[in-house]
Amino acid sequence: MKRRTGLVLVAAAASLTLTLAACSGGSPTTAPTAGGSASATEPKTLTIWDYESGDSAMGQAWAKAVEIFKTKHPDVTVKEEAQTFEQIQKNAKIVLTGDTVPDVMEYNKGNATAGQLAAQGLISPLTDAAKKYGWESKLAGSLATTAKYNEKGLMGSGEWYGVPNYGEFVGVYYNKDLFKKYNLQVPTTLAEFETVMDTFKGKGVTPLATAGAEYPLGQLWYELVLANADRSFVDSYQLFASDVDFHGSQLTAGTTALDSWIKKGYIDKKVAALKAEDMGVSFIKGKYPMMVSGSWWFGRLATEMKADWGMFTFPGNKLHPGSSGNIWVVPTKAKSPELAKEFIDITLSADVQNVLAEKGGLPVAGDTSVITDEKVKELTTNFKSVLDQDGLAFYPDWPVPGYYDVIVAQLQALANGNKDVPATLDGLGKAYASGKDDLLNG
Amino acid sequence: MSAATTARPAQQSADVPVRKADARLHRGVGRWFVLALAGLFALGMLAPFVIMAMNAFKSAADYSQNGPLSLPTEIYTTGLVNFWTRTNFPVKLFNSILISGLVAVFGTLLSLVTAYAIGIGRIKGRVWIVAVFLIANMLPQEAIIYPLFTMANAVGLSNSQWSVIIIFTVIQSAFGIYLLSSVMGTFPVELLEAAALDGAGRFRILWSVVYPILRPTLGVLMVFFFIWTWNEFFIPLVMLTSNDTQTVPIALASLQGDRMMDAPTTNAGALVSLLPALVFFLIFQRTLTRGVTAGSVK
Repeated sequence: MKRRTGLVLVAAAASLTLTLAACSGGSPTTAPTAGGSASATEPKTLTIWDYESGDSAMGQAWAKAVEIFKTKHPDVTVKEEAQTFEQIQKNAKIVLTGDTVPDVMEYNKGNATAGQLAAQGLISPLTDAAKKYGWESKLAGSLATTAKYNEKGLMGSGEWYGVPNYGEFVGVYYNKDLFKKYNLQVPTTLAEFETVMDTFKGKGVTPLATAGAEYPLGQLWYELVLANADRSFVDSYQLFASDVDFHGSQLTAGTTALDSWIKKGYIDKKVAALKAEDMGVSFIKGKYPMMVSGSWWFGRLATEMKADWGMFTFPGNKLHPGSSGNIWVVPTKAKSPELAKEFIDITLSADVQNVLAEKGGLPVAGDTSVITDEKVKELTTNFKSVLDQDGLAFYPDWPVPGYYDVIVAQLQALANGNKDVPATLDGLGKAYASGKDDLLNG
Repeated sequence: MSAATTARPAQQSADVPVRKADARLHRGVGRWFVLALAGLFALGMLAPFVIMAMNAFKSAADYSQNGPLSLPTEIYTTGLVNFWTRTNFPVKLFNSILISGLVAVFGTLLSLVTAYAIGIGRIKGRVWIVAVFLIANMLPQEAIIYPLFTMANAVGLSNSQWSVIIIFTVIQSAFGIYLLSSVMGTFPVELLEAAALDGAGRFRILWSVVYPILRPTLGVLMVFFFIWTWNEFFIPLVMLTSNDTQTVPIALASLQGDRMMDAPTTNAGALVSLLPALVFFLIFQRTLTRGVTAGSVK
């Protein structure tokens, strides 16, 4: 008994000294922070929250923007905080009601994200700043759609609440080595695309890398729907301009095409169980010759893929899944909103946009002639061709909250053969209708 | 400490040499079988850690080309360095130790005094009080986050480690109170009566009689509270909004992007984040075993 208690004493003492040491070591570092956030008499600060890694195109471009801002305002302390995606994405609604809010922060665009913050008054309208700084002319057409939200939080109309400064789109990455091996050309129409896939299939190679357990299969489905659709369909589907008929020509044709691609074996049989990471890794390894996915894969392919590769836009489509990138928003409780707006304007300046362009970050107002890297040039030219046709059609899961899971589940059922095309469309249509009803009348 | 550890096995083996040799002869095959099973089980438990460690030292290209199960082609430390600098790890480590350490101490103290009132003081309605504590402990954190956040703001503790320390002291001690009050409920009454006869007051009984006997159990509680608080994610994520107040699990989560994952850096981060808790656990492992067996031999 005696020995025991002695040991426990040692343990308890050790943990006490541990915590005491921690206390005494910590007070100098924690004290200024607590004071800084509480008092208003301090010199001006600009607090920026984002969740891009420092070596991504966005991270490098925004570091440049901070540098420019600092030379313009040497008296302002700039606090750049790398936040957790999940923190901002899921908890912004709580955190922004608190006392410690940033002056400007990166946020996901769309009805379910920025739209909700706007509708609840947690972020301030930027329409005046958009006029003053000329953002309206820099960001036109489908790019500005994600910047404006109405009083219900639906994007596309109303006040400016967010400012995008880069873009993204979905295209087809292809393995040039495998194309050369089977003597194939880059397809320019959907029919040619199917011929290329038939050739691969004939040689025993599954042509398309995709993933049914996450976003990729839904984006492929949306590509095929868009192949049969025009802008008015997109306005109805995404912006509720008019009712969408889920058994109408566009959705039926697109879903039927996906069904036949699955049946023809263009897609792996196990697709329903695969995740986006599996898709990317198997394409990088050279297991599949093509991958339909977004520009966010570009940086990773550039550093990790050994085979020669390239990218083309989805053959024959005028509309593509894609949108502006994440947007800058200014919280209502921000302490330096004017500085925040000025910072946003700097991120749209030529200097910063050109950094984005060079690093493959798809600038919204950049100059493609500054790009020296061939692959970056190809990607950016592809994006520019999409923008020139005003071809950004957003993502299939955007219209109503929680639709992402519905699309994944319905398309998994289609891929597994548990549901036929009409049943899949029924499932998709039902969730869409009830979600839309909640948004408009709820 | 070392003197005590070496003394014990020597004593044991002196007691039972004959019986042991005898038993070995009889249970020879069975013992090997049990050993093999235990070995397999250990392998199963270790496998995820081994895979994590392997991938922590693998470059991203290597990971994509050869998959997660291959051995790294070279020792690649950029992932570790990236994680360390990108998240400013020393600050997160300090915050985690501060929060977990203080919660362990405060939580145990609070559990002890409250459980004393319930278990030995036998206050009225004690069953209901313990039930309420337990229910509070079982509530999903998502359900209480709004009130907690509003309260922290109201008292000027927004974005402060103290908000998290206070919250977890209460949450953890809910479990501690339940455990200690049932332990104290079985406390030998003779001891208490003897102390009372000698003229000890309530505090004297707590500190001179109850506390020394419960010390092993309190040690276990402290270790549990430390590790549980260390692993907490959701409440710190919401309450601690700036980089200089955040904890290790949040730093780890900041590696997960919107659509991208960087497996080697994430693995490196997981490895670095796990080590402090593992070291703590190894140091206090004896406290744990002692606490668990406390009272089994009197």
